[in-house]
Amino acid sequence: MILEVKQLEKSFGARRAVAGINLLLNEGEVLGLLGPNGAGKTTTLAMIGGLLQPEAGSITIGGWDLQRHPLQAKALLGIVPQEPALYPQLSAAANLRFWGTMQGLQRSELNKAVAEALAVVGLTERARERVVNYSGGMKRRLNIAAGILHRPKLLIMDEPTVGVDPQSRNHIHETVKRLQCAGTAIIYTSHYVEEVEELCGRVLIMDAGKVVAAGTVAELLRAAGHAQELVIKVNRPHQAVLSRLTAIPGVREAVMVGQAFKLLTLKAEQVLPLAYEYLLSQGLQVSAIEIHKPNLESLFLKLTGKSLRDQ
Amino acid sequence: MMKKCLAITAVGFQQMFADPMYLIFTLALPLLLTWAMSFLPREAGVYEMALLGVLVMFVALNLLTSAGSILEEKQQGTWQRLRSSATPYRAIMAGYLLRFSLVAAVQALLLLLSGKLLFGAPWNQGYGELAVVLAVYIFAMTGLGLFLAGLFKTQGQVQAAATGIVLVGSMLGDIFFPMENPSTAIKFITAISPQSWAAHALKDILLQGAALASLVKPLLWMGGLGLLLLTAGLLRLKTEM
Ligand SMILES: Nc1ncnc2c1ncn2[C@@H]1O[C@H](COP(=O)(O)OP(=O)(O)OP(=O)(O)O)[C@@H](O)[C@H]1O
Ligand SMILES: [Mg+2]
Repeated sequence: MILEVKQLEKSFGARRAVAGINLLLNEGEVLGLLGPNGAGKTTTLAMIGGLLQPEAGSITIGGWDLQRHPLQAKALLGIVPQEPALYPQLSAAANLRFWGTMQGLQRSELNKAVAEALAVVGLTERARERVVNYSGGMKRRLNIAAGILHRPKLLIMDEPTVGVDPQSRNHIHETVKRLQCAGTAIIYTSHYVEEVEELCGRVLIMDAGKVVAAGTVAELLRAAGHAQELVIKVNRPHQAVLSRLTAIPGVREAVMVGQAFKLLTLKAEQVLPLAYEYLLSQGLQVSAIEIHKPNLESLFLKLTGKSLRDQ
Repeated sequence: MMKKCLAITAVGFQQMFADPMYLIFTLALPLLLTWAMSFLPREAGVYEMALLGVLVMFVALNLLTSAGSILEEKQQGTWQRLRSSATPYRAIMAGYLLRFSLVAAVQALLLLLSGKLLFGAPWNQGYGELAVVLAVYIFAMTGLGLFLAGLFKTQGQVQAAATGIVLVGSMLGDIFFPMENPSTAIKFITAISPQSWAAHALKDILLQGAALASLVKPLLWMGGLGLLLLTAGLLRLKTEM
């Protein structure tokens, strides 16, 4: 057991950002943390990273209690924050040398560790350049390098693929898989169900500071049932239309996400014509229709009546 | 632990020297003012006092801005990364404080030297006492800086507060111009202003060869104030993310 979190709680004023989270993580396991904006993912990770004092609960990393033995616990930990945390005026190599020193690497180990981390994220060629001149995706990759430099046993990755081009995203996915093979335990937060389904053996779905579902991807998909997700993109979605769509027989849940309505149903072939006809009768233009097989997104929709993503 | 502390100091230096505005603000601007002050009438210590006034003002502004840079690091996330690393808080803070005070000491030294060599200021005694008073003043301003960094959320807020505090403390601190019958409010500000205490102590040392024994009051006031603010700032920065 590399990480043990018990009954973790944290409030900001009256808002309960984290309301009693439990989680266990084994060596070499990748745990996906899914949840909509404000679910409490970053707050949970900040407490595990020793940045926020929990109000209640305990965190144990590699057998070390984070409160009582913070330095020993933190030595096993690597973090990849949501926003790249680097010194913009320094070169990539200088940044990594500094962060390696802070993680307690000896001078003799430093060069090798820096070179390896740069190679893992594919930035060896650009190592001498200052970080200000890096593209957004390159900064995110260097941010990951800074987190894995000291070969942590537990790596926390907070939405590492947000705003990253497909090429960098693939690279990041490959990095996660390679680290996992090397025995690193990883907590991976994301809004994207596809990458969580691909990378994570186990998934924890959070909403409003609580865990609403947990299990392996297969288990969760079973729990999602056979309900399909019907996505209908229109030109002007609005609330009044949504409530009429919800009333269509066979619709379990319906939400409005950006320009689209998402309907959860067991009988897509029956619901779709009715929904389509209704939308046309309201003078709306339908620009796209998609039918998804059950995924974590539809499970979340089923459990909370909300969408994981705003867009 | 020592190595980590020095690495933090070194990275801080690299950040600072990458920013030309910072060097202009800490050295070029006070040098320009020192030069301007050299046209003041050379009588009754007015000129010397003004030079030392420029020095205490800019050393304070430098230290407060430096401490405020911790808030920039918070926004940039590097503070959080440091805090989640296996580095003790005291090593982190020692690294920062070492950098702040070194830069301030070098700045003060350069201003004193250029005053003497370029603009004919009569500094030629009391160097030991000078070092003590400067060190205590730097300590006090570092404390104020950390206190402000703990109190506020952004570097902009720290800079606004710093400018207010230092300008009031210097301009109303009986340094640049004498006041006839000042109001009680102004007398009070003069009495508590570290800028005023420091500038007068430095002048007494450099012009009259004052001994430390006669400077117990300013040293105690600045040292005590510094200790209080530094402690408050350190405690607050430790818990406040
Ligand atoms: N420092 C803070 N002060 C006050 N409220 C906060 C603070 N940090 C987080 N919150 C609140 O706590 C809740 C959880 O925020 P958190 O950042 O953990 O969510 P998240 O799941 O990471 O969301 P996102 O997907 O947008 O990153 C939100 O309602 C947020 O507004
Ligand atoms: Mg977040």
